[in-house]
Formats: sequence, structure tokens, C-alpha cells
Amino acid sequence: MVSFWEVLDRAINTGPMLEPNEFDMLIFRKTSELAKEHDIRYDPNTPVPSDDSLADDLFEAGLKLYLETGTYCINSHRQIKFSEEEIKDALKDVPSKILIGEGAEAKWLERRDIEDRKEPLNLGGVIESNPQEGEIFVKLYQSIAQEKVVDGIYFGPSPTVEGRAWRAGSPLEVHAGRCAASWVREALRRVGRPGLHLITACPSAAADIATCDPGNGIRISDAIAIPTTTELKTDYDSLAKVAFSLDYGCYRNPYWLPMIGGYAGGPEGAAIAGVAGAFHSALVCQTRISGFNNAGAILIEPKGVQTDRRVIWVTSLMWQALSRNTNMIGGMGVTTAAGPGTEMMFLENAATAIAIVVSGGHITHGIRKAVLARPNQGSGLEPKFQGEVAKAAAGLKRADANEMIKALLAKYEDRLAKAPEGRSFEELYDLKTLTPKKDYLEIFYKMKKELGELGLSIE
Amino acid sequence: MSEGEILEKLRQSIFNYDAEAAAKAANEAVEAKIDFRKALEVLTEALRSLGEKFSQGEIYLPHLVMAADAMERATKVLQAIIPKGEKIGRGKIVIGTIQGDIHDIGKNIVSAILRSAGFEVYDLGKDVSIERFIEKAQEVGADIIASSALMSVTMPQQKVLEDELKRLGLKGKFKTIVGGGPVTQEWADEIGANGFGRTALDAVKIVEKLLSQGG
Repeated sequence: MVSFWEVLDRAINTGPMLEPNEFDMLIFRKTSELAKEHDIRYDPNTPVPSDDSLADDLFEAGLKLYLETGTYCINSHRQIKFSEEEIKDALKDVPSKILIGEGAEAKWLERRDIEDRKEPLNLGGVIESNPQEGEIFVKLYQSIAQEKVVDGIYFGPSPTVEGRAWRAGSPLEVHAGRCAASWVREALRRVGRPGLHLITACPSAAADIATCDPGNGIRISDAIAIPTTTELKTDYDSLAKVAFSLDYGCYRNPYWLPMIGGYAGGPEGAAIAGVAGAFHSALVCQTRISGFNNAGAILIEPKGVQTDRRVIWVTSLMWQALSRNTNMIGGMGVTTAAGPGTEMMFLENAATAIAIVVSGGHITHGIRKAVLARPNQGSGLEPKFQGEVAKAAAGLKRADANEMIKALLAKYEDRLAKAPEGRSFEELYDLKTLTPKKDYLEIFYKMKKELGELGLSIE
Repeated sequence: MSEGEILEKLRQSIFNYDAEAAAKAANEAVEAKIDFRKALEVLTEALRSLGEKFSQGEIYLPHLVMAADAMERATKVLQAIIPKGEKIGRGKIVIGTIQGDIHDIGKNIVSAILRSAGFEVYDLGKDVSIERFIEKAQEVGADIIASSALMSVTMPQQKVLEDELKRLGLKGKFKTIVGGGPVTQEWADEIGANGFGRTALDAVKIVEKLLSQGG
């Protein structure tokens, strides 16, 4: 068993030294080789593959990649490498279920099989929606928490606090983090769900650690999100979040987003890097002790979008590989090109959410628009829709999901580069009653009906 | 070997992402006393076509990086036949991810694309202080300072950079362009940046436009 202290030794003192660009090119060389060696090929006609041997081949390729690269520590320029025995040993330890949330909101978050009939959890809500400070922040999160189909909420600080823009790593970020945590806890209390699971995601470790406060912030039933820099890179701040969470006792929620077109190459390379990220999660982020994961591909252009068919293929295949070969608990959120209040956002949301669920995942990081056009770009209705779709997709066969997703893609994928901007929370909701406005609800019901016509029956 | 054959070797070295082959072909061009402008044009055209392929998703970031490396190796060799004082680069750009932000892939793409378009790029990496941007720009005689911010909470530093350039009386000396996930044209206008790139590929057009404006 490799302890976290040994991981830190390798990260800080003993791991092989490599320049950052050398590590990046190593990733590319290996993913290119391994894609050929294991005959991993992207098929645009099958965004959700039903090929178990392909999933297993991908797992093997991911393992070989991680054996070669390990995780790169940006601060020390060292590779944190592990032997095959260490990796397999860690995977055996990974718990297949964890209890998140408290009291009436305590829920088991479990690993899922491919095509699992067990309903996924719907974690995250609306993430990184540029929520403004103060009461509007509370109301936005209240609108999310009041939806029973939401099982947990991910939050980060508002971009200003005390009327001031804060810089990542500055003392003001610490205050911003604590304010955000207390406002989200207030939102939970207002809807009578004080025990709902939370995930904190401040940029710096100091701010995330500052949000940990059983009375008014992150409890041990909650989680700290741990970023991975593309591809397979960590840094002292992320490692500090791991170190603290091990001591405090809250969960770790590593996330990694292999970039199609980036250092891992095309969809095949991104899928291989995606699987490799799981070993990084188990060993460097210590989900071998406890935690859950958010992972899936993103695009370079349109920036950060996760509803393109290549992204869906990578994410589906990666989670199929992990579901078949590990106890990893995880899934992905959905980053859309279109904004809230548009039909297109619902279509994108549905396509990717269905793919995640049938591939063995949960919704772990909610929903957001990739490039925000205005403040407060999110509301409770998007995660409500997402959760209902996700739970309705439980038990679907991959082949059926594939057809459904192709039909959805046909409705939006040619508009990804020029998607509608959408509207803000204040434009979509009545802020007094905290209910969606009539026109937004009409879109919501219309989209549910369209999904019903495609064969997804949502209660 | 004929001039045409040597120039074709140069072209292929870029398409094959082969820095060694690029240096070798450049040496052959020097020995054959080929007009350096022809050699540079062949290299630039090859890179431009790779830039197009990248924008179509046919090749990926590492390909651009390797191609730009090959271009630089060849250009270094060709220096031997470039008359002193002859300006061969299209302009000098200092680029980095703004202070507090460690996301660099978008910036790396812009850096590779600008290099592949023939600009001299000084990439300062990530989490770059305002002082470092300005110091490097002065050191190399940059034309443009380009900053990237991927988080809404690091974007304000782009304004700090603008304000510092104004304070030091350097705003006229260096043009600025901004980019990154949350960055918009409105933000660029608000802070007084000279240009904004919505996508990495916009960077070349914007840089060309700013440099043609002079001043």
C-alpha cells in the first residue's frame, strides 16, 4: 500500500525530473502508440459504443499510459510514478459505495454497472454560473436545492465579495469561499434540506480549507473538489486539498477532463488519458480511501463544451472501461454551448446525461454553460431536468441510448459553434416565489415531451 | 540537389514535424545559396496549412508544437544567410497566463499558432506576474503583450496589466490582446485592451490587424 506521505515524497523529492513540455509530449507519444496497439478507434456513428472488448482494451491502454507517465507535479517538475502492483493494490481498496449528506439527506453513492437499473444520483446542480454575491447567491442555490431530484450541490465563490473582485490565492478569496459556503448552507436551510451533500470548489487550497466548518460550511459528509490540470498533472494546491481532507475526514472529489485535440491527441488519446486519470485519482488523490470522481472529455473549440459527439464517445467509453474493471464511483457533469432558457441547452443536457448514465456513471458535476454571457447564468430548472432525464435513463440499453443520442445530436450539433446565449436567473425565475417563469416552464415541458417521443419516458 | 528539391525537403520536414530534417534541409538551402526569402516562405506556407488542419480538427496541439519547433530549428540555421538588420519575423509577442491562473492549454495553442504563423513568441508560461509581462516585453522589444485568463476570478488581473502599462506610460509602446474562457469583447473594451480573441485561431488575425495599424 502506498501511503499519501509516500506520494508526497515522490511528488516533492524523489520522483524523476522532467520538463513540462517533455511530459506533455510523452503523453502524446504514448497515447498515439497505445491507440494503435490496442486498436482504439473513434466511430462517429456510435457515440455510445456497445463493445465490451473495446472498453476492456481501453482500460489496458489507460493502465499502460499511467505506468509510463504517472502524474506530473507542476511545482517540482517531478513525475509521481507507481508500479503496476501499487496501482492494482490501490484499485482493490477503492470503496464501491460511500455515504454522502446527513440526516434525512444521507444517501449512498455507489458504483454503477453499465446499463445499471439502479438510478444514478444527481449531484452538482448548476456549477460556475457566475453567481453574484449576497442574497441573489442564496436564492439561486435555493432554487436548486428545492428540487428533490437534486442529490447534492457543487459551489464556488462568487467573483466578488464585499463588493470587491478577488484574486485566486489572495486573502480575499478565503473570505469569498467562507461566504459562499455559508450562503449555500443558508439556501439548504431555507428549503428544509440542511443535510444535503455539498462539494466545495475554490481555486486555492487555503480557501477550500477555510470553507470546512461543520456549523456553517463543509462537513465531513461533504467533499472538496480536487482539480487535475490537463493532462495528468497536479500541483501543491491540489495536493494540499488531499492532505487536509484526509485529516478533516471529508470526501475527495477529483476531477479530470481530457481535452480532445490537446496533448492527448484526438478522441482515442483523450479516452486513454481519461482512464489513466482514474489511477491518478486512486493513488494521488487517495480515492482509494474514499471519494468519487468527475471525469469526461472537453473540446478546445467550442471552448470547454461537453455535448459534442466526440466528447460523448470518449466519456461513455471511459466510464464503461472503469465500470467494467474497477469499483470507481463517478460520472460527469454537462457543460453546454447554449445557455439557460434555451431549448438547445435542454437537448445538449439530455444527450450527454443519458450517455453518462448508461455507461455506468452518475451526474456528478451538474450542468453549466461553457462560456458565460452574463452574471447568474443558471437556475434550478436545468438540474431538475438533468436529474429527471438521468433517472429515467437508468436501465436503458446502450444501443437504444445510442439511437436516442444520435437523434438529439441531429437537433443541435451543427449549432455548437454559434449557440444561443441564454438568459440569467433573474430573467428565468420569479425571485419572490422562486418558481420558473411561464415561458421557461413551457420550454421545460416541451423538451420532456420531445424526449418522450424519442422513447425516454420521464415521470 | 536542385533548389526545388531542397525547398520540398523543407516543406516536408514541417509536414512530418521533424526538427532534425528541417535543420538539415535548411543547411542544404544555405549551402546551395537559396534565397532565404523563398525558404522562409515555404516554411511559413507549410505551417499555415497545418494551422488550417488544426482548426478543422485534423491534427492536434502537439502537432502544432512539433511543427513550430521544426520551423524554429530551420530558421535558426537560415540566420546564417539573412543579412544583418533584415527583419524576418512578423512581429514579437510576449504571451502568458495571467497571475493567479495556472490553466495554460489555451495559451499554449495560441502560442503554437502564432509561432506557426511566423511570429516571434516569448511564452512566459502560467501564473505570470504583471511585472514579468512588462519586463519581458521591454527586454525583447515586443510589439504585443497577450494575456490569457481562464477563470472569472483571474480576469481582473488583465485590467491590472492595462492599468500598469498606462501608469508606466507604456500603453502606446505595447499593444495588448486578451483571451481565455470568460473573456469577452466587452471585457476587452472595458479594460482598454487593443484586441480580443474569442478562439485561439482568431489570434493570428488580430495580431496581423494590430501590427498593420502601426503606432
